[in-house]
Amino acid sequence: MKKLIILFVFVAFGFTAEAQEKGSVLIQNATVISITDGDLEDTDVLIRDGVIQEIGKDLRAPRGVETVDATGKYLMPGIIDAHSHLNGVDINEGRNVVTAEVTMEESVDPNDVGIYHALAGGATTIHLMHGSANVIGGQGETLKLRYGVSQEGMKFEDAPRTIKFALGENPTRVHGQGNGVQPRTRMGVEQVIRGHFDEALDYKRKREAYLSAKEQYDRRGRGTPPVPVAENLRFEVLNDIIEGEILVHCHSYRSDEILMLMRVFNDYGVENYTFQHANEAFKVAPELAKNGAHTSVFSDWWAYKFEVYYSTAYNASILNANGVINSINSDNNQLLRTLNHEASKVVRYGNTTVNDALKMITLHPAIQLGIDDRVGSIEEGKDGDVVVWSGHPFSIYSKAEMTFVDGKKYFDLENDPDDMRIQINPGTDFEDGSNYREIVSSRDEDACMQDAFILFQN
Amino acid sequence: MKKLNIFVFIAALLFGLTATAEAQITEKPEYGKFAITGATIHTVTNGTIEGGIILIDGEKIVQVGQNAKITPDYKQIDATGKHVYPGFIDSWTALGLVEVSAVAVTVDNRELGQFNPHMFAFTAFNPHSASVPVTRVSGVTTVLSHPSSGTIAGKAAVMDLWGYSPDSMAVKKSGALVMSLPSSGGGGWWDNRSEKEIKEQYERQIKAINDFIDKAHFYNQMMNAYEANSSGKTKPDFDPRMDAMREVLSGDVPIVISVNREKAILDAIEWIKSHENMNFVFEGVQEGWRVADEIAEAGIPVLTTTLYTPGRDYDNYKRPYENPGLMAEAGVKVAIVSNDTENSRNAPFEAGYAAAYGLGKEEAIKALTINPAEIFGVDHIIGSLEAGKQANLFISDGDPLEPMTNIEHVFIKGFKIPMTSRHTQLYDEFLNRDAVNE
Amino acid sequence: MRKHILLLALLFSGFSLQAIQAQTTPAHALKNITIHNADGSVTESATIVWRDGVIEAVGKNVTIPFDAFEIDGGDSLHVYPGFIDGFSTWGSPEPPRNLPELDNPGDPPYDRAGIQPERKPSVLLTEDKTFEAGMKAGFTSAALYPNGYMLPGQVEVFYLAPATESIGLLKENLALAGSFEPAPGGWGNGAYPSTMMGVMAQFRQVMFDATALQQHMKYYAQNPEMPAPKRDQVLEALFPLVNKTTPLYFEVDTKEHIERLLKLQDEFGFSAVVVSGKEAYAKSAELKRRNIPVLASIDFTEAPDWYTKMNKAEESDKEDEEESSEEMEEISEEEQSYRDKRIEAWKAEVTNIKKLMDAGVSVGYASAGLELKDLSKKLEILLDEGGLTESDAVKLMTSNTASILGLGNTLGTLTKGKNASFTVFDKAMSEDKAKVLHSISNGTIHEFEGN
Repeated sequence: MKKLIILFVFVAFGFTAEAQEKGSVLIQNATVISITDGDLEDTDVLIRDGVIQEIGKDLRAPRGVETVDATGKYLMPGIIDAHSHLNGVDINEGRNVVTAEVTMEESVDPNDVGIYHALAGGATTIHLMHGSANVIGGQGETLKLRYGVSQEGMKFEDAPRTIKFALGENPTRVHGQGNGVQPRTRMGVEQVIRGHFDEALDYKRKREAYLSAKEQYDRRGRGTPPVPVAENLRFEVLNDIIEGEILVHCHSYRSDEILMLMRVFNDYGVENYTFQHANEAFKVAPELAKNGAHTSVFSDWWAYKFEVYYSTAYNASILNANGVINSINSDNNQLLRTLNHEASKVVRYGNTTVNDALKMITLHPAIQLGIDDRVGSIEEGKDGDVVVWSGHPFSIYSKAEMTFVDGKKYFDLENDPDDMRIQINPGTDFEDGSNYREIVSSRDEDACMQDAFILFQN
Repeated sequence: MKKLNIFVFIAALLFGLTATAEAQITEKPEYGKFAITGATIHTVTNGTIEGGIILIDGEKIVQVGQNAKITPDYKQIDATGKHVYPGFIDSWTALGLVEVSAVAVTVDNRELGQFNPHMFAFTAFNPHSASVPVTRVSGVTTVLSHPSSGTIAGKAAVMDLWGYSPDSMAVKKSGALVMSLPSSGGGGWWDNRSEKEIKEQYERQIKAINDFIDKAHFYNQMMNAYEANSSGKTKPDFDPRMDAMREVLSGDVPIVISVNREKAILDAIEWIKSHENMNFVFEGVQEGWRVADEIAEAGIPVLTTTLYTPGRDYDNYKRPYENPGLMAEAGVKVAIVSNDTENSRNAPFEAGYAAAYGLGKEEAIKALTINPAEIFGVDHIIGSLEAGKQANLFISDGDPLEPMTNIEHVFIKGFKIPMTSRHTQLYDEFLNRDAVNE
Repeated sequence: MRKHILLLALLFSGFSLQAIQAQTTPAHALKNITIHNADGSVTESATIVWRDGVIEAVGKNVTIPFDAFEIDGGDSLHVYPGFIDGFSTWGSPEPPRNLPELDNPGDPPYDRAGIQPERKPSVLLTEDKTFEAGMKAGFTSAALYPNGYMLPGQVEVFYLAPATESIGLLKENLALAGSFEPAPGGWGNGAYPSTMMGVMAQFRQVMFDATALQQHMKYYAQNPEMPAPKRDQVLEALFPLVNKTTPLYFEVDTKEHIERLLKLQDEFGFSAVVVSGKEAYAKSAELKRRNIPVLASIDFTEAPDWYTKMNKAEESDKEDEEESSEEMEEISEEEQSYRDKRIEAWKAEVTNIKKLMDAGVSVGYASAGLELKDLSKKLEILLDEGGLTESDAVKLMTSNTASILGLGNTLGTLTKGKNASFTVFDKAMSEDKAKVLHSISNGTIHEFEGN
């Protein structure tokens, strides 16, 4: 009854956001991989209106709630990919070295069938990121893979803001080599960051001075009015970074550039950041742990660029052993749908336990995205983002059988039609090449460089 | 400007390779007589033997069975509870030919020119590529390393991943001829050409290929005639390109054609009909499931992968995983490859997905062992655990298609190789790094 | 009588009447015509009288004033209110190609970024054969804007004429034009913003910059002792948008693009008109709530071949049943399901306008890139499959568009007191091969020889 009233009020006030579809379901008798409380055998999980209400044995299904018999199956939190470009309309606003003012929030394509493919692989949340063409790129957007809703509806409500930084070969190639604009070297990369941070702080001072002088002048109506300082979107965002309101995710590889960024952030008081890819992070694991920095890495990619030539598939294990909060990401539409497999390789390469490796695709990316109060483990009170697996998710033979987001079933292996398009182009024939998707293989690296014009092609 | 870049890169590379000891593997292999006991032996061609014994003497496997007399000169490896498999063969990779794909001077698989059947991957294969040890410690002991450029890129080589020279590593110098065929279908929504343009270009390209092959046939016949009886004949000039084609025309060396889309596959099958004596293999074959019967009927084996996204907007999400199984079901001989360079070691995982989605584990293992061996004519040497074959094998603590399985020992050509690579060395050095820089 | 017959003969022989009418004809009367009104009603044997560009009288039994030059329609001519194109680049100069390389593509001059709100079509109008072609298709007015990118310029309404110098400005400063087009230059020579999210950010930034400049100019006007503002014609052209006194005519098609436009509207509070709006039906409730009209495109995708064949087969079913069933090829289930979905999507596209109308959204017409030679084909689809009747279509292109442009009192219907802009066809428009014989635009008669 209460709910009805609230809904009515929203409608009357012209509330434009979509009411999220939340579901209820009772999943019975699974081996529940809780992540934070071990593996619970023969356990039930009750989700009500999108929230995990109860975890226990022999739970009763409330009236009207569908039950799923998961005997012999595993239940795991939905996989969270901390680095994805799955459904971005554009990936790189690569025309300027710093583009903090653009945001992937405004580049979301909710109709990409790749979203469904990812759900079928057990993923439920992705961090849709700007590309790595710029030293300071655009803001990201954390999305839940609610296939079939609007772009607004895909947003992970109240997720913290994030932004992309990029160090090393990518920005120096695009801007230094491509446009003749600094940075051309890793030295330049540091100065671009420092220079822009300083400019942003100067702007803040001037803008605040203007606003308070304006307020005074407008009130009193006498004296000399202040010269207006226009609101500058880019500098506003940079100040938000410095003030800790935005989580930084920095594409980086070499250990020295990782140290450089930590040095710079320590100087400006930026505390919350995750190094993305960070192939050489293992070389500075103690420093990362000391600074409370996080890492989000590939399971085993290396050698495709010079800056990753001296890296190792044991990266994740070394970081984990040194107390760094590490996640495994995809940065690739194929790996996104087999992230369970990617994380399983961490067990092979090093001494990481199965549960720690599982954390790298659940709890740890949730922490890095600031959403661990909502997702990342199966605990009472968290969102009903769970996946039923036919076997342990780290076995290559296991398949995702059902994927729930907010307790609503978005994927069911038993009811999986071939053609899952929501946006149909009325102008293309069946045999037309226009239906061909760009095939992404598990070895196509640098989705991060899409849309960025690079003059030097190696 | 570009020249300076090249110098800088070479300098950096050399500096990197020489300055750090981590690039060199310093441990020595073991060689001699080995007896592996108590393991589950997956022979591939003769079933599975529980608690069996394998005897290795020098380069070869001398015995595989339930019982064997083990003399004291054999070093025993107790493999109770473990599994022994033939060394995996990744039959489509550029391993050894490409070091860092973004650094042009380290890329040696793309020669200039359209028709280069005489370019040998064998020549440019770098035995000391950092990727070689990384690959072999994962149980992939042999690869088919191939060039890729133009219409006929050259000859791919079957190489074992242990040795100090390409000569000692080559299982077969001329493993396959690499060819690309044009397609009469459009390239996709990014393909701007009109239908007429597509057709014209296709016909022109096909004609160029047919002309080249016709010339090769002529050269072959001419040389055969001369070699049979040279009296009274002037010796024709030697043509290295044409000469390289001779073993291909006879069918001794297969031709690998990369085709993916349905139309391209059907076009290729049609074209192949007019070239009966030659042997063909398809690579890629992403839409093979759509025309599996046609491929089977044509008797063409395929090299394929599974880990890629569906190629059409309306394809089911699992088609790429099901593709090898569907083709095998129709009677196609399937080999599963990595189609990668530095991650050739992931070929078993491509096979694992195929196994899970219809191919089945047994066929998946075949797709990594005996099938590629047969396709490239080296099955008398490798591809299964049989007495008399080369000792390429590994011992694992479980199913090698499973990522959490550990590969514990690897033998290549009888050498029990050091289980070290750049990756393990970096792990050893940095797991517990002592110095903490302030 | 003889005078009239002579003139009638001249009419049909294609003589230009310009020389004859000149200043010696204070008014005109066109009689014995069939008038197709915008509301759907048809008046036969009607007369229309106009003077100084304004309709003086219209209907049956109209007294023709003594000083009106009579033209007899012979009861074979059909008159429609002149069509209005709500958003078009006719007469716009072509955007420059081969742009010079920029030193700093990240901070380009405004024109390289596509930010040119200061441009007025009335200033830039160039020769364009489309004007005549448009009139031959029934258009007498058009809202024009300069061809460009994210903020290409201003929208102004004109009375059409075949020659550019005769085109009359009807309304200036109607609106600002906008779109999500990134900066020109393409792959090799582009500039910021090169993506849609870049366009959105840059849109905000120029609005902020304009706000600051306006504030500065206000302060300076009262306080000349302070530092002078740096005048900027680009930013100043945005003041009306900042002050919400001019609407933004924004060209968008997809549901998601419309949502992004609405987001900007929420932030800056300007009023908006959606132009083209091919998927606008998906947002009809929201558009209605915000009073956002749609100047809709009818540039529909062509129906699939097999669908057209199927329809033809159905029509001639009675004649050749055997033949038509033979032509039905065998296709796989996968392909059949694909076709079903495709036709569904196509039908949704062509019924866009009907759905908008049914939802109570104000819908008008804009060519939005549709070429005139394709117009009749698209109108046919609109009438056959789009759920609109001929009179709906006429209303769409006349009175609806006029009221969206805020010119409902001047254009769009053939009513006394409104502007004399209408088209004379030789048959009813819906009939095969109907041709435009004359176009009366702002009272001036333009005649077309042998279409």
